[in-house]
Amino acid sequence: MPTTEYLKIPRERVGVLIGKKGEVKQNIEKLTHTQLEIDSEAGTVVINPQEDLEDPLLPWKTRSIVKAVGRGFNPEIALRLLDDDVSLDIIKLTEYVGKSKKALARQKGRIIGRDGITRQIIYEMTSVDMSVYGKTVSIIGDLDNILIAKEAVEMILNGSRHKSVYGFLEKKKQDMKLKHFQDTINLK
Amino acid sequence: MAEKEKWGIANIYSSFNNTIITITDITGAETITQWSGGKVVRADRQESSPFAAMEAASRAADDTKEKGIVGLHIKVRAPGGNGPRTPGPGAQATIRALARAGIRIGKIEDVTPIPHDGTGRPGGKRGRRV
Repeated sequence: MPTTEYLKIPRERVGVLIGKKGEVKQNIEKLTHTQLEIDSEAGTVVINPQEDLEDPLLPWKTRSIVKAVGRGFNPEIALRLLDDDVSLDIIKLTEYVGKSKKALARQKGRIIGRDGITRQIIYEMTSVDMSVYGKTVSIIGDLDNILIAKEAVEMILNGSRHKSVYGFLEKKKQDMKLKHFQDTINLK
Repeated sequence: MAEKEKWGIANIYSSFNNTIITITDITGAETITQWSGGKVVRADRQESSPFAAMEAASRAADDTKEKGIVGLHIKVRAPGGNGPRTPGPGAQATIRALARAGIRIGKIEDVTPIPHDGTGRPGGKRGRRV
């Protein structure tokens, strides 16, 4: 008997969560065996799990999917969260840049980079999906990869040069490869 | 709910270094059993792995069923405070393993402690210097 969950998303993201003629909403409901009640005025979402639910984790996952859509992800990418290994992490930029709007805009620009090149490099090196939206940076991916991506974003926020962040990512990628290799050997 | 059905609470603390499962009765004051990732694996770095969490959860489930408890409410907790606020890799695996062991799952709740402005993050003004 899992219970209902309540959460709030920005109003301009409500349309994305519902989709054309409610397509996206229906898709999420079907995949997660839940019922979504969306209030488009206030942006509140109520997640009602269906009766006779086999997997008790589904409402929990639905919550993070809705949250991810609210945090600027495209619903298709947010649905990756249905996978057990994939999780969502949200970094609040205000913790690093303070209240200044100018600083916030500047740091967001630094994370994205010219023509999105820095963001692109973080995507490719760590194979995560990232969304810079409002006052947050959100990351979807494997836990290990999220940790690396998060550290890279933190480095940028703390004032590292882009070049040294790229170097860090390169090094981590090598480490991950080695670890993966060792793990496969150990399993056999 | 029938009167004979006994429910308990599973407190799951899932960090990046370990997963600790504490199963208590419904009041939360009487611990029934405690298991952790470190109790089931040898290597330190595997303590937080989903496999260790699953193993610990299934053993915790055995102890719980022995006491005649049919269902568990779940309280998931990440380190919180200054640290990460998202539960580690063991949390989902634990819940899944408990369900698979034949225990009914009730409410799932996130009880990560979130500071309303607490102490500062470690590292100081100039950051962590390696």
